[in-house]
Amino acid sequence: MTESDAIVLETRNISKRFPRVLANNNINITLRKGEIISLLGENGAGKSTLMNVLYGLYRPTTGTILLNGEEVEFSSPRDAINRGMGMVHQHFMLVDPLTVTENIILGMEPGRRGVIDYKAARKEVKDLSDRYRLEIDPDSLVEDLPVGLQQRVEILKALYRKARILILDEPTAVLTPGEVEDLFKVIHRLRDSGVSVIIITHKLEEVRAISDRVYILRRGEIAGERRTSDCTKTDLANLMVGRDVVLTVSKDKHEAADKASFEIKNLNVINDRHVRVINDLSLSVRPGEIVGIAGVDGNGQTELAEAIMGQMVQESGEILFKGNPVQNLSTRARRDLGISYVPTDRQKAGLVLPFTIAENVILGSQDEAPFSKGLALQRKPIAEYSRKLVKDYDVRCASIDEEVSNLSGGNQQKVILAREFSREPDFLLVSQPTRGLDVGAIEYIHSQILKMREKNSAILLISLELEEIFSLADRILVLFEGKIVKEFDPSETNDKEVGLYMTGGN
Amino acid sequence: MDKLLTGLKVIAGVVGVVFWAASQFWGILLVLLALGIHMVQNFSRMDREDAVKKLKDLGMSAFYPAVGILAAIVLGGLIMALTGYDPINAYKAMFYGGLVKNWHISLLNATPLIFTGLSIAVAFKAGLFNIGAEGQYYVGSMIATWLAIRFSLPLGLYILAIFILAGLAAAAYNIIPTWLKIRTGAHEVVTTMMFAHIATKYSTIFVRNNGGDPAVSKHAYVTDAIQEANELLPLKTIIPGANYRVHMGVLLALVTAIVIWYLLYKTKIGFEIRAVGANKTAARTQGINSGRAIMTAMLIAGFLCGISGTTQVLGLEHKMYENLNAGYGWNGISVALLAGNDPIGVIFAALLWGILDAGGQYMARTTQTPSAVVEIIKGIILFLILAKYLYFWFGHKLFKGRKKAAAGEAA
Repeated sequence: MTESDAIVLETRNISKRFPRVLANNNINITLRKGEIISLLGENGAGKSTLMNVLYGLYRPTTGTILLNGEEVEFSSPRDAINRGMGMVHQHFMLVDPLTVTENIILGMEPGRRGVIDYKAARKEVKDLSDRYRLEIDPDSLVEDLPVGLQQRVEILKALYRKARILILDEPTAVLTPGEVEDLFKVIHRLRDSGVSVIIITHKLEEVRAISDRVYILRRGEIAGERRTSDCTKTDLANLMVGRDVVLTVSKDKHEAADKASFEIKNLNVINDRHVRVINDLSLSVRPGEIVGIAGVDGNGQTELAEAIMGQMVQESGEILFKGNPVQNLSTRARRDLGISYVPTDRQKAGLVLPFTIAENVILGSQDEAPFSKGLALQRKPIAEYSRKLVKDYDVRCASIDEEVSNLSGGNQQKVILAREFSREPDFLLVSQPTRGLDVGAIEYIHSQILKMREKNSAILLISLELEEIFSLADRILVLFEGKIVKEFDPSETNDKEVGLYMTGGN
Repeated sequence: MDKLLTGLKVIAGVVGVVFWAASQFWGILLVLLALGIHMVQNFSRMDREDAVKKLKDLGMSAFYPAVGILAAIVLGGLIMALTGYDPINAYKAMFYGGLVKNWHISLLNATPLIFTGLSIAVAFKAGLFNIGAEGQYYVGSMIATWLAIRFSLPLGLYILAIFILAGLAAAAYNIIPTWLKIRTGAHEVVTTMMFAHIATKYSTIFVRNNGGDPAVSKHAYVTDAIQEANELLPLKTIIPGANYRVHMGVLLALVTAIVIWYLLYKTKIGFEIRAVGANKTAARTQGINSGRAIMTAMLIAGFLCGISGTTQVLGLEHKMYENLNAGYGWNGISVALLAGNDPIGVIFAALLWGILDAGGQYMARTTQTPSAVVEIIKGIILFLILAKYLYFWFGHKLFKGRKKAAAGEAA
């Protein structure tokens, strides 16, 4: 690619105003033929809005879009697709029980008079897959494919629609390290054949690994444009956040106690589809220690967490807390003993979204003094306590009576941390605490977790982000197919080695 | 000062409601006064911004019902005009009948609906659809009738006992469907509906066994009358001007609505019910026993339907009819939906339904307009309120159109 290559996409002073916010303000970007650019920004910086404007989902308030030098106006994604735009959403838009071919032709089936010409369709899908070496079997069912391949089906879908510009929204969020590498190869092949690619991301590493140029968005505006070859990770982070950020929280040495306070012995869990999801798993956590569980999603993380919290029936095995078995206790009883839990899905399992901040903060302690007396909830103590937590944990909100559904993801997570950490638990189970959060929030949440370590909580951290595991954990356990397959000392290993065990190789 | 105001508010409210119920229309002035004091009290505690926001929220929550009702009245008028009736006259008769002439009938219609509406609302708050309210209503009616025919005690103690026993029986009627829901996930819409059919069909046998046998009784299809000592006092014992049919059950319904509001929003039981209803996973993750919360809600729901039937038997009918199917259970669903499952809103929704029914009958008698028009209006109201997405869509279109025009000017 050279500077002289034709500009295929250009935006001129795009602004998008929503009733209360200016989501995009005077955005000017250019994209050349066969170029890969990244749009980097925190959550709420306006990346998705911009993409939705480009893809015809939103109409810009002001400004114009130029496609191959010609001014265009999309009134729907269909217009955008017809003009050669393709988009792969973070959450795939695939119909699981259908085959790859069926999914790809959905909406533009070839054939005549209502009869679909499957043979022709299948051949075209196969040809496309071969040309870009996507290695997709056109006949397999989407539900049988691993996530990485499902993503390629989405890419194939865009190519089938003759996309010349491909927009990928957080493409690596769901992938394993190995799959990420494969994806990057695919993207490079696409570029070499003249397709232009826009990647939306908040991961700095990714920007540098894949793209030629990067636009940094902050609060709806372009905060900078860089060639990835001549900028550092720190440059990008500072541009993105607007201040100097600490990329990896500094971790002080902290001596853990000798004796474990939390132990799991030979745990077996069978799910309701009769599959053994936790297989003879044993581990132990000492007070003042963070044990990180690394693994690819779907290897038993959810089930392990639910078994620890008493929400999943276990088949056999023991869970010991301070030497006493707790596996037969209810969730409530385990919490009362001093076990706290930050669940993966903050909106589904962590919060009651239509409830206020105050109500969420006392959720689970609503029947304890001083929050209730007899049957009646006590308004004053609840309000005082909530105000204190909101302040201590820096939850940005209008008032404690605001519904948590109105808060940003980072602030929602802070509400959960406030509730769980303020109980001063002796054992803390934290599952993917920074999922989908931006750099600033991650920094804060990591420092809070380390604070709990200093207070000598025993902490079990489940995360899909290796980076997170490496920056927090004192010991790393690799979970694969419901089993702990390997234990590492983080100072004596690297992400490549851990990644290998995560995918079952050794 | 604040306490004094609160006292004044409560007294004005209670006295106002009682007199209003007794067709003394100045009672409404006292009610408005109480509401005014309440607003002043609340807003004086907030700063300006919060107060404005709160007012806006209130306005918005009143907006959809208001639009729905207005639109339904206009559409109902159109239908009448198109089918050859005079909508102006018909509406005059309907509102005169429902609000003035037969106000007492409106109240009597609304009373059982308040209870059943509350029942549906409580279940909804726990995330369940108690579609079988009708069955629990019948269970309550039958137990109340059976007890009130046979026994009596002085001092109204027995009336209290009947209320409690009939309520408990109706609550117990929900145990099996709810247990199935918790244990196996069997959907409560199906199970409570089937249970409702069992109870309503069984009631015909019950009526025959309690004096309504067409073979031997001259009052076929009606049970024997309950003992006079078990009848609820009419309202005119405390307010001489009240219509003789209006009974204390009206006041009981209003008090119950307030109790349910308190229970849902100010107690830990209500907190747990709402938490489970809004997000069962999160509630369970926090150690809340979701099964217990659901069971509690369904027991309360059953109890409310039970006392609905009891109020109707002891207060108004004084016997049980086989074929008088007023459908208070089914209509309670509409009332709760209209009220957005808000206990206080249920009062107003039930009153609206009561007024439409009473007014509709009066309209039919005096203007020969079929009272089915009222059912059409009710249907349109519900449709327009439930389809509020329609407004968003419409508003969006309107907004977009305007913005486009503005953009055009700018360019």
